[in-house]
Amino acid sequence: MKLAINTVQILLLLLLAPLVRGVIARLKARIQNRHGASVWRPYADLLKLFRKEDLVPDSASFVFRLAPIVLFTSTLVAAAFVPLLHGSALLDATGDFVLLVYLLALGRFFLMLGAMDGGSSFGGMGASREALVSTLAEAPFLLALVSVAIAARSNSIAGMVRWTLVQDFFQFSAVHALAFAALALVAIAETGRVPVDNPTTHLELTMIHEAMVLEYSGPSLALIEWASAIKLTVIMALLIALFVPWGAASSLSAMAIGIASLVLLVKIAALVLTLALVESSVAKLRMYLVPDFLGVASALAILAVVFTALMR
Amino acid sequence: MTQVAFSLFLVATLSVPLVTLMSHRWTKARALPPILLMGSLAVGIAVAAAGFYGGQKFVVDVSQVASFSFALSVDRLSAFFLLLICSVSLPVILFSSSYIPRHYSGARRHWLWVLLPLFLMSMVLVATASTPFAFLFGWELMTLFSAGLILIDGDSEQRRHNIFVYLLMMHAGAAAVIGAFLLFLPHAGNFAEMRASAAAMPPSLRTAVFLLAFVGFGTKAGIVPLHLWLPRAHPIAPSPVSALMSGVMLKTAIYGFVRFAFDFLGGGPSWWGYLVLLAGCVSGLLGVLYAIAEHDLKRLLAYHSVENIGIIYLGLGAALVFTANHAPLWAALALAAALLHCLNHAIFKSLLFLGAGAISDAAHTLDLEELGGLQKRMRVTGAVFLIACCSIVGLPLFNGFVSEWLTFRSFLAGSEMTSLSAAIILPLAAGVLALIGGLAAACFAKVYGVAFLGRPRSREAESANEVSLPMQAGMGALATACVVIGVFPGLVLRSMGKLTEELLPGVALPQAATSLSGVLPGIALFVLVLVAAIAALKRTKKLTATWACGLPGLNERMQYTSTAFSKPLRKVFSQVYKSDRTVEVVPGGPPYFPVSISYRSVRTTSFEKSLYRPGVDAIVAAAHRLRQLQTGNIQIYLLYIFAALIALLVFMRFV
Repeated sequence: MKLAINTVQILLLLLLAPLVRGVIARLKARIQNRHGASVWRPYADLLKLFRKEDLVPDSASFVFRLAPIVLFTSTLVAAAFVPLLHGSALLDATGDFVLLVYLLALGRFFLMLGAMDGGSSFGGMGASREALVSTLAEAPFLLALVSVAIAARSNSIAGMVRWTLVQDFFQFSAVHALAFAALALVAIAETGRVPVDNPTTHLELTMIHEAMVLEYSGPSLALIEWASAIKLTVIMALLIALFVPWGAASSLSAMAIGIASLVLLVKIAALVLTLALVESSVAKLRMYLVPDFLGVASALAILAVVFTALMR
Repeated sequence: MTQVAFSLFLVATLSVPLVTLMSHRWTKARALPPILLMGSLAVGIAVAAAGFYGGQKFVVDVSQVASFSFALSVDRLSAFFLLLICSVSLPVILFSSSYIPRHYSGARRHWLWVLLPLFLMSMVLVATASTPFAFLFGWELMTLFSAGLILIDGDSEQRRHNIFVYLLMMHAGAAAVIGAFLLFLPHAGNFAEMRASAAAMPPSLRTAVFLLAFVGFGTKAGIVPLHLWLPRAHPIAPSPVSALMSGVMLKTAIYGFVRFAFDFLGGGPSWWGYLVLLAGCVSGLLGVLYAIAEHDLKRLLAYHSVENIGIIYLGLGAALVFTANHAPLWAALALAAALLHCLNHAIFKSLLFLGAGAISDAAHTLDLEELGGLQKRMRVTGAVFLIACCSIVGLPLFNGFVSEWLTFRSFLAGSEMTSLSAAIILPLAAGVLALIGGLAAACFAKVYGVAFLGRPRSREAESANEVSLPMQAGMGALATACVVIGVFPGLVLRSMGKLTEELLPGVALPQAATSLSGVLPGIALFVLVLVAAIAALKRTKKLTATWACGLPGLNERMQYTSTAFSKPLRKVFSQVYKSDRTVEVVPGGPPYFPVSISYRSVRTTSFEKSLYRPGVDAIVAAAHRLRQLQTGNIQIYLLYIFAALIALLVFMRFV
């Protein structure tokens, strides 16, 4: 039963991820007084891309085609660590949050290589910028997770969720507030949203993620797009699971799971709305201001860790 | 039995130089030295495995027949490092068996085959010595033989200067190591005696021993700011020698440090640990930052050795802090992490240096800006190099991740300490480790992306061909080891637990260490199946030209170079680099079209300028002043002798 639900959790992430993207795009359009495309548009895009042929630059090696597959696979495995509906995940091991961070890094490393395999300026440009952003995002990402792990006296993500579930909602500690702030900033950088990167930009010179995937087409592009949608949803789910897991099922009955699913949908909807509002109201940062942005995240994460020691 | 095998290994390795010298006129025997050496290394691996996995201890003592105390003994710690030395050297020698004849002929080749086994033997001596004399004997020989091996590649003015810096710093370090041994007097006959006497030493003397060992072994390991020799000496050696120096020789320093800090002294006050942690943080960060700015592949790899030594020191520092806080369980974990990272770094770093050798063999350059597109031309070399890159970056399913994860896990345990400083500093060190990992990822995305992917940037790179089969096999063996340890860490971790039990008596590795071994194989299987399935599904592909904004004439010069790739990071961390740059613009007629622009940027690390230069200047100035004693006048010299005699007589009268 537990295994079944955990498998369903992964499938949910896998299948609902494009919808999350579609909803964000639609919400942004409405906020900007446009009509916007249907929320199902990302599915249609994926389907279309999967049917097309894979165009490979003549200079490229096997890495070019391997990169999207590794990215997709590693993102999917990372998703297996995040509990959604109740306090357990498919994969649950001590210290697994480090594994989660590094699995995302594995996918990103290969995407950077794939970008450079195209042999044009844009791939290198995107990879170089991604290297800057991801390098500086990794430390606050991990430190924030470390602080939550210490506060929850547990080393696995599922364990942290289980601990938080039995806490009083109104006894929100400073550690959690700081870690949440840090992780929220990191999440924006990791998923390439405004103000760090603009996923809808059409100008190559301002692109980060889009410049890396410029050379990709067909099924490879579909895998990359799907993987980045999953990554966005996984990081949202991680924020929800670590900081506001209340509402998740405590038993494995159909009733509890049903309620948990509804609550989860509401929480994701709230995050999506916030993201759409932020993206519509904030301008993209100049690239050399991104280190400052992540510097704030690092400072918050460091404070969170210091507070875990001071407040015990 | 093992004792006999060990002696056989020693004798066989020592006979290789003799065989080389005797057979050098006989062309048919050309393959003899490498085969003999590989055979003896295989025996060495078997002996070391029996010691490390089976826990067999044995002694080879020649103190009775020699006039000095000279004994070798193998306990688990020695066996582990012996295993590291032999198992990494074997593939390197396999690689060399084809690389050396292709690049060296005549006397230089013979010298290589004479010095290589002696160099290996000196490292074995260091790892297995059980008397200070034997240890220091091996320690000095290691420096001299490696310097000799570097000299084989040429002795231009620049190279001799670099070797001078290397020898100078090694001897300064060796002086500190000798000092650390001397402080044990009168109980410095052998290691067992030293171990027994250390407990009774006064704290100040223990601190002195620790600091001398820290500086002495730190110089050899290349921690910042004692790393100055490392990026000078490693890149100029022949590639297989660089592989051995970076991969294996640096680890003997870690061995020495662990022997002193944990085995002899058994840990100390927590500031020892913080000092080591600080050295680890600084070495790790600066090492990787300097590496990012390099575009000479071997210099870049040398700086990465500084970085990885930093990561090892992070683990050692955490272990010392835990010991001081009476948490031997976590100390064992941190120590196991550091030792495992020694092995992992030895494997992937020698693989990377061999890869660099393969690149220079095929493309005749190591300048990243001249490379590109090698993956399509050297499929095997490219694939194993990619594995090495993933390992050094610490990506999951490769060996670097396992040891870095263990280090993370031990840092996290810092929060359980009652001491506030430990509870704050150790978890924060996890952030430093993450930053190092992120920077390393950026650096190796650059290395692999620029050298192996995209279009070739020079004619040499374009006409590169795959290297010979023995070279591929040597690299392939190391790459396999990277993946095997990365997926099945339990293979090493289980015996590592017994090793830490010997160093920190009565403590087995905590459960946390083995939990990872349960998850990784499953993930690996899942990833493998999924990757294979997707790859099988999307088989069809069509070759097209790279998108060039619809314009014709895309060429290799339009790709991002190594310098361009690292520019954003260099800009953000500009405080570290402090480059002196000059831009000269020769103006032409119209204001916006100058005739020529030349750009030059010279980077000297601030250590040379502000830390070493004043010291060197002071020594030179003092030498100049002392020279005034040397007048060349014989009467003055007679006066000196007379004065010395009087002084001695007076001294003897009053003592």
